[in-house]
Amino acid sequence: MILDAHGHVGSWPDFLIPDPTADGLVSLMDKLGIDAMGISHLLGVGPDAAEGNRLAFEIAGRHPGRFGVWQVYNPHHRTPLVTEGVWGVKIHPDVHQCPLDDPRYEPVWELGLPVLAHGQTDSPWSDPALFAVVAGRHPEVPLLMGHTGLWPYGFARAARLVADHPNLYLETCGSKMTGRWIARLAELAGADRVLFGSDSCFLDLRVGYGRVALAPLGDADRALIQGGNLVRILGGLA
Amino acid sequence: MPKLIDAHRLIGPVPFDDLPEDPRPEMDRLGVERAYVTHTLSLYSDAHAGNQALFALDDPRLIPVPVVVPEAFAAIPEWPVAMVRLCPERHRFDLTGPVALRWLAAMDAIAAVDLEETSPAQLLALARHLPDLRVLLLNPGYRRLRAVAELMSEAPNIWLEIGTVNTQRAVEWLAERFGARRLVWGTGAPVLDDCGPRFLLDHLELSDKDIELIATGGDLL
Repeated sequence: MILDAHGHVGSWPDFLIPDPTADGLVSLMDKLGIDAMGISHLLGVGPDAAEGNRLAFEIAGRHPGRFGVWQVYNPHHRTPLVTEGVWGVKIHPDVHQCPLDDPRYEPVWELGLPVLAHGQTDSPWSDPALFAVVAGRHPEVPLLMGHTGLWPYGFARAARLVADHPNLYLETCGSKMTGRWIARLAELAGADRVLFGSDSCFLDLRVGYGRVALAPLGDADRALIQGGNLVRILGGLA
Repeated sequence: MPKLIDAHRLIGPVPFDDLPEDPRPEMDRLGVERAYVTHTLSLYSDAHAGNQALFALDDPRLIPVPVVVPEAFAAIPEWPVAMVRLCPERHRFDLTGPVALRWLAAMDAIAAVDLEETSPAQLLALARHLPDLRVLLLNPGYRRLRAVAELMSEAPNIWLEIGTVNTQRAVEWLAERFGARRLVWGTGAPVLDDCGPRFLLDHLELSDKDIELIATGGDLL
């Protein structure tokens, strides 16, 4: 089973996304054999989490079984959260300008669902060290470090930081990730701690999945990274 | 897919990571027949030493792309090469200054430039100063797609390397506007990724003819 841990629908102000649609994602997922993708709506990551979440649920309902919803929690707006019918919670400390270890995220950790958070090395909001802090505080919460810290100079450190926290995972999307680095992350942290994510439609799904599909990995490790680990984390939800 | 050509590859060590120094094993694994190659010494140490190391390779699979550093009182190199690379930011020269323009006009080679080393305005000025010069824009990325498209609309002598064109269906968007002939497959490996761009090539929603054109360098290489 192939599961994409990190996807989006919608547009983003920084640049042009030629195809920001859910239908566009589904057509590529069909071509590539990707069973399902966890999405948050980019409107929700941006200024309106409640409306973005409504749109994400609507999209998931329109394509049964193809999308899991990462409901966005905006700590400033105290976004209402649900516990049923979701993959978990998406938080973006950098866009929301609220550090990952801030008490305003308590409602997220209390939920106990998997959490996908943007992770960016040297960011005051989402440096990988903050993931280790939060993972230690909430060992029962599976925590996905989005982008594995984003910058290549921080990948090895991110892999070291997950070592002492079995609930902390490295998610691979980002424009600076390489197939070589995915294989190295599997060596450094263990293939059972690495998850495929694409960041599509923000980024191109084919590039993101291609890195995993063509990474210099053995079949067993590739199977874990491209879906096996996430199936385990989601407890069969997917 | 016959004769896949990587228009942008590095050979040699880099100071900030432990990456494969020889591109050939990965080229074999990913089915890349030939690559236009710059030596890392030229980028991260001494351009002259890097170019010497590059020319010493003498492997028909590795097509040399030496780095040019225009200098007012030096002789213009007479290299028998199809492509040269310029790093105006790294080597601190003016891409559209009189020396660079004189050198490029005399060299009769494709000029490859990384977008981070210049700007769309500089590239447009270069393209207008030297309309016969063919420019390959490396690493355009995805965040400046609008500016890059505007540049390509105005400068027919600029081609685009697609290895970092990385937002959803952006390559198709560019192909629709400029034709596959102006798109060139390249990677920037091993610093940048080759696996994703290689996979993308096999799954582009373009005709087989267009995909083959991009895979072999558009109508530039």
